[in-house]
Amino acid sequence: MLNRELVAASTEPLILSLLSRGESYGYALIQEVKRISGDKIEWTDGMLYPVLHRMEREGWIASRWGEAENGRKRKYYSLKKDGKKALKDQRRQWVAVSGVFKQLWEEQYV
Amino acid sequence: MFNLDQAISEWRRQMLATGVKAFDILDELESHLRENIDEQILAGSNPQQAFEIAVRRIGNPDALRVEFAKVGGGRWAFLRRLKTAFLRASLQSPSLSAFTDSARQTLELAAMEAPRLHHDFIGTEHVLLGMLQLENGVLPGVLKRMGLDRQDLRNQVEKWVEKWVGIPPSGRMSGRLPYTPRARKALFLAAREAKACHSPTVGPEHIFLGLLLEGDGVAGRVLKDLGLTAETARGEILKEPPKP
Repeated sequence: MLNRELVAASTEPLILSLLSRGESYGYALIQEVKRISGDKIEWTDGMLYPVLHRMEREGWIASRWGEAENGRKRKYYSLKKDGKKALKDQRRQWVAVSGVFKQLWEEQYV
Repeated sequence: MFNLDQAISEWRRQMLATGVKAFDILDELESHLRENIDEQILAGSNPQQAFEIAVRRIGNPDALRVEFAKVGGGRWAFLRRLKTAFLRASLQSPSLSAFTDSARQTLELAAMEAPRLHHDFIGTEHVLLGMLQLENGVLPGVLKRMGLDRQDLRNQVEKWVEKWVGIPPSGRMSGRLPYTPRARKALFLAAREAKACHSPTVGPEHIFLGLLLEGDGVAGRVLKDLGLTAETARGEILKEPPKP
């Protein structure tokens, strides 16, 4: 399990990355993250929504109400141009951090 | 018997009472809740269990309210505030002076029904219960002709309300009780309906139509379950000559 700070810091880039694959909605995003991380990243369900709304206000993502196959109302989110830029920027930073760790930890085993 | 729709609507009220007020947010959280419950039921859970787990997973209402409150601001905040201000001005609640005496009496009775049912809000169900106590005016006759017995209807509403045993009210029972957004919407629709019927005042019969048109509140659901539609009710009301 990740600690609280790391979960908080990684939520936005994770959402941006997931939405870069195409439109999605809150419940599916949570399930996706759980699945891809092998249950290591688990968000408190409700807490995802304020983050989505904040990102929408930032102008990174757009939302629309749609209907699911079962007729249920769903709010779908998609990435906007500014969101793509934000993703690129955040990705650069995470790659930098993980690159440093990779080097440091690989050196230990040499 | 556990009633999922009723449980969810009660949960929405609880969120509302905590201060998560935006309709859009509540709708989105409800949609999430239902997705989760569906999935659990498919996996073999019973609805009540599924509901309780889903509610727990969605998290503490207070913490959610705090997080949503932080969302404000952003680049277009100024424009959004302007927009809401405009919307508020154009969507003002109908002024109480347009309500007839019996309509006002309905609302007073509704305010008494809520504490009787241990609720700390005035919802559509209380408005309907209040309305059913009226002896005079257009409404009793209209109901009768639609084949509705008032006492029967009261029992139906109370049965619906009592079916749900869950989160106790937050204990804020004193002072003026707030209307739920659905009740407010019903009153707004009532005023619009009165206008459409060329009535200068809003009577209980218009509030009745408002409840039907709103449709999602307890009152709307009970009436719909009885096969009532706003169209037939409107037809019946228009047949009546207006009474004081």
